Amino acid sequence: MIDRTLRHARLIASLGRYTLAREMSFRGNYLVKLSVELLWLFILLAFYKTVFMKTSTVATWTEPQYLFFVGCHFALNGLIETLFMDGCVDFTELVRTGDLDFILLKPMDEQVLVTCRKIDWGTSLNVVMGGVVMALALYQMNWRFDPVRAVAFVVTFVCGTAIAYSFMLALTSFSVWLVRNQSLMEMWWLFSSLARYPREIFRSLAWAEPLSFLFTYILPFLLVVNVPANVMVRVFDPATVAFTLAATAASLWASRMFFRRALRSYRSASS
Amino acid sequence: MAIIEADGLSKTYRVFQKREGVLGALRGLFHREYKEVRAVDRVSFTIEPGEMVAFLGPNGAGKTTTLKMLSGLIDPSSGSASVLGFTPWKRDDAFRRRFALVMGQKNQLWWDLPASDSFMLHKEIYSIPEAQFQSTLDELTELLEVKHLTRQAVRELSLGERMKMELIAALLHQPSVLLLDEPTIGLDVVAQVRIQNCLREYHKRRGVTVILTSHYMRDVEALCDRVLVITRGKLVYDGLLSGIHDRFAGMKLVRLEFFESVPEGLERYGEISRIEGPVVDLKVDRDRVAEALGAILDGHAVADLSVQDPPLEQVIARVFEEGRSDHEAA
Repeated sequence: MIDRTLRHARLIASLGRYTLAREMSFRGNYLVKLSVELLWLFILLAFYKTVFMKTSTVATWTEPQYLFFVGCHFALNGLIETLFMDGCVDFTELVRTGDLDFILLKPMDEQVLVTCRKIDWGTSLNVVMGGVVMALALYQMNWRFDPVRAVAFVVTFVCGTAIAYSFMLALTSFSVWLVRNQSLMEMWWLFSSLARYPREIFRSLAWAEPLSFLFTYILPFLLVVNVPANVMVRVFDPATVAFTLAATAASLWASRMFFRRALRSYRSASS
Repeated sequence: MAIIEADGLSKTYRVFQKREGVLGALRGLFHREYKEVRAVDRVSFTIEPGEMVAFLGPNGAGKTTTLKMLSGLIDPSSGSASVLGFTPWKRDDAFRRRFALVMGQKNQLWWDLPASDSFMLHKEIYSIPEAQFQSTLDELTELLEVKHLTRQAVRELSLGERMKMELIAALLHQPSVLLLDEPTIGLDVVAQVRIQNCLREYHKRRGVTVILTSHYMRDVEALCDRVLVITRGKLVYDGLLSGIHDRFAGMKLVRLEFFESVPEGLERYGEISRIEGPVVDLKVDRDRVAEALGAILDGHAVADLSVQDPPLEQVIARVFEEGRSDHEAA
């Protein structure tokens, strides 16, 4: 088991090296991508700054807390996009052309090969930029180092990444039956947008409360950024952390089972 | 003991029947029609270790589908198979480490990177020890004469060079079973011969078991002694390559060169396919060759004669046609 895990870790590292080498051979494209991400963060920050010029809180979140939330979202989303997004989006094409054959032939875990084979270094800077924004927010609120909160943050940040990854994997798996999967990837963008806002926004409106319940307990997308941001700069609730851990395990298991079920239906396009 | 066994292997696909026109497409949103296509129909055979077997059939006969079941890419609808003692579609890592599939029309190398980077990735995936990796790579690049091309981006290689790199990638982990699906498709004669030579040499050195599908009979004649012929999903022949002529050719080609002009009345021995000066080509039923030659030699002065089987392409085409006619009649 340990040997297999190490082998997969080494493979991901190798894939990272080769995708970086490929990215570097198209330098211009790489630089444009980095600039776009930087501009996007700048626009987001400018927007929230404007909002907080008119009010002191948004759904009980103060400006520095919200800034931390935005940084957390940016870093987490950057991590997802860097590690998994390209591989998952490309899966549809692999199914359509039959090139998935070559992945299924390899003596490695198919899920790892499908989702991690195209590391996108163009979005990796988002993780760093998100980290800088979080650090800036902590500085603004005079945050004092608390090891329990720090560890809980790291753990729930990883859980949030895993939940988002599971959801992306499940949507990706539909490609085997649908062959064209653009609309489902649109759904990914919709749900990932949900993670961009604090859960309290939905709770403060009666008609939106069912959405909050749905995306917390059924499709736990609202846990992705809310829980790590909360444990770090707001309320540290051990029960919520425990629930997040359980939701992470359930999401990873369910999405893996669904992916494997999808592979059994793979027909391999004619050569 | 057989290294590959297929027993009653079948694969049925459910294929969507698209209606024509916009109205048909709209109707298809609410009511879809499907057709069942039996791509492979109860195919059974065994292959012993070290054999090189050709798997022949016209387009859509079920060759690639069978190879995909044997390599574990798709599950069969019914029947069973064993490759290297494993059930292929369970896709055990131990199984996948010991075989390779090369598809002439698909590309597994990283398009924008040199082939050497893809080879390094294969080394990682198959956990190939450094010394073994280097010696196998040297051996294969030498055999295929592409040592100088491994640092060039794959997209900048010619089709033949790319195919050679694909073959190297497939053989780096020294598989015991090699499945080749039209490895020389689209290649010029020189590249075809180079790949044939490499496969023959590699087979001689390592004793790898090979199943080859190809539409080029030169590949088959150069590499395989045994042939499986499949048409419309059914196996119609399993035997020696030489046996195909006995079973399906039905006649032999007799070339006669007379001292004077070609005499009249040769039609009674067979079909005249060509007359050029004193030389005539006759197609004679296999079981009448001796009788016909005896009669001709008795009655005429013959300067030279030869008896040959018809070209394999012609015989195979006839097998495919028979398979199609039988299917349509059924």
